[in-house]
Amino acid sequence: MAKTVTRGRPGRKIGWAFSTPALIAGLIVTIYPLVYLVASSVSRSTLGRPFQEFVGGDNFAQAFGDSTVTDALVRTTVFAITTAVFQVALGLVIALLMRQLTRGQHVIRTLILLPLLTPPVMAAVVWKLILAPNGGLLNAVLMQLGIVNEPVSLLGSPVWAIVMVGLADSWQWTPFVALIVYAGLLALPQSVYEAAQVEGANPWQTFRYITFPMILPTLTAVLLIKLIISFKIFDLIYVLTAGGPADASMLSGFLIFRTAMREFDVGYAAAQTLIFVIVVTIVTIPVTLLRNRTRWS
Amino acid sequence: MTQTTTPIDTTTALITTDRRRRRRLPRQRSAGRSSAARASGRVGRGILWAVVLAGILLPILYLLTLSFTPQSQIATGRVFPDELTLGNWTAMWDRMPILLYALNSIIAAVLGCVLSLVIATFVAFAIARYRTGGGFLPMYVLASFVAPPVVAIVPLFFLLRAIGLVNSPFGLALIYGLVNVAVAAALLEPFIERIPAELEEAAQIDGAGPLRTMFSVVIPLLLPGLIATGIIILILNYNELLFALTVLQSNESQTLPVAISLFQGDRGVQFGQMAAASLAAIVPVYIAAVFMQRYLVGGLTSGAIK
Repeated sequence: MAKTVTRGRPGRKIGWAFSTPALIAGLIVTIYPLVYLVASSVSRSTLGRPFQEFVGGDNFAQAFGDSTVTDALVRTTVFAITTAVFQVALGLVIALLMRQLTRGQHVIRTLILLPLLTPPVMAAVVWKLILAPNGGLLNAVLMQLGIVNEPVSLLGSPVWAIVMVGLADSWQWTPFVALIVYAGLLALPQSVYEAAQVEGANPWQTFRYITFPMILPTLTAVLLIKLIISFKIFDLIYVLTAGGPADASMLSGFLIFRTAMREFDVGYAAAQTLIFVIVVTIVTIPVTLLRNRTRWS
Repeated sequence: MTQTTTPIDTTTALITTDRRRRRRLPRQRSAGRSSAARASGRVGRGILWAVVLAGILLPILYLLTLSFTPQSQIATGRVFPDELTLGNWTAMWDRMPILLYALNSIIAAVLGCVLSLVIATFVAFAIARYRTGGGFLPMYVLASFVAPPVVAIVPLFFLLRAIGLVNSPFGLALIYGLVNVAVAAALLEPFIERIPAELEEAAQIDGAGPLRTMFSVVIPLLLPGLIATGIIILILNYNELLFALTVLQSNESQTLPVAISLFQGDRGVQFGQMAAASLAAIVPVYIAAVFMQRYLVGGLTSGAIK
């Protein structure tokens, strides 16, 4: 509060005046969709004719009884946690490597931005081309090395399809994690490292007892952000697998889109969305708590 | 240990010259390690870097090669083509009006970005300086980032239809502008916190009103933050698929991600053409990465670590 320019009434009035456009924006993109969603989730609604009749909890009952929906929710949760944890771990390794560089940081930082900035649709096209059974890079290499005789279609495999989506997602997002962790590492106080060196700590001890505990708040913060982003995944599924084969890589974001915009069942999609939002909230709460604990301890 | 990584330290560390960080300890290594151990450490790091860089660059280089490889060579599964062609680029150019799609993308991205920046600058300033709305306002503003965008597609589609802006990049710009207020405000806030409040006080004592103070004191000082935030929002908008796919259903209103997602799903399209189209759409973002690296890194890291 010490830096507050104007205290009391005039400051309050100006503050609210300055916030009004944002309040209206939130009304349009958050409050109104939420109200709309709740209303359509208890009604029969199609894209052409919304709010035909009140159906109570029918849409929800249908969703809980529909294994496509429940499987997608479980798969999305597992996918989000796995990719977020994997990318934070790999991002930490890359960030530590970046800190060790004595020259070339500028170039590395530019290169590392490229996957992150690549539009997800185009990133998905790249991976689709690499993984393509007829003429893709992976099969060309595997066949030339004699590892496989017949081209393999990883995106057509019920087991591998979702793993490949995770791979493409990691290609895009690990650089983001690495950059943020690297920034966090640069901000660590150097005096502690000097003390550790005087004490004769080896590199592992330095990492285990100094770097890791000090970087933990950054790691939990970026884990939370990445978890939220992972839950939202849509583009990669849309281009790479469309949820297939036979819904084996179906994730909730894409399923909801398909229900609303391709099957036009807005009411059912709304019920699925609300359940999805609740699942996302429940999963992110422990990470938020963890983050707050590491932040304030 | 609280706040060891404040956004301010972090961004300054990144935005100021790289030389700054060389003042840190040469390397954290124990006093007694032999030169052999040190050399093997260097080799190990070299190998790790090779793997990391290959992982990052291989897909991009493959796309580049593919776009110049004749279809006959792709089909036979050659890793290195022995002849190159511009045929994929000309075929792609004939098949899709890529400049029209680029124009739609730019309209949606730029107008959306401007709208987000205007709204976010004022609300971020109110939160940072006046603590408007206590803890409620930051939560309220951020809510739209946490909620998955699928929540909003159907209601916003109906809203745009009601005001006649479906199938228009301007309608999409409106959605982008409102949706990204959250991200823009979060990114701008640390930059605002860094502006000394004394300057605003001085302007006030000189009789400048709040709006005057904003435009003649705050915004000029906030310029680096606005550039960093603006470029990130631009790229977010340019890359976006879900809203674009929902709102733009006519062929001539499509943005690049929508057009390319449909193009790659078209059975008649060959790999090389897909690669050429994707690459053409990626190039502007990569140019931004090269020339705006400082701002991008500064903006990304300042918003994320809080």
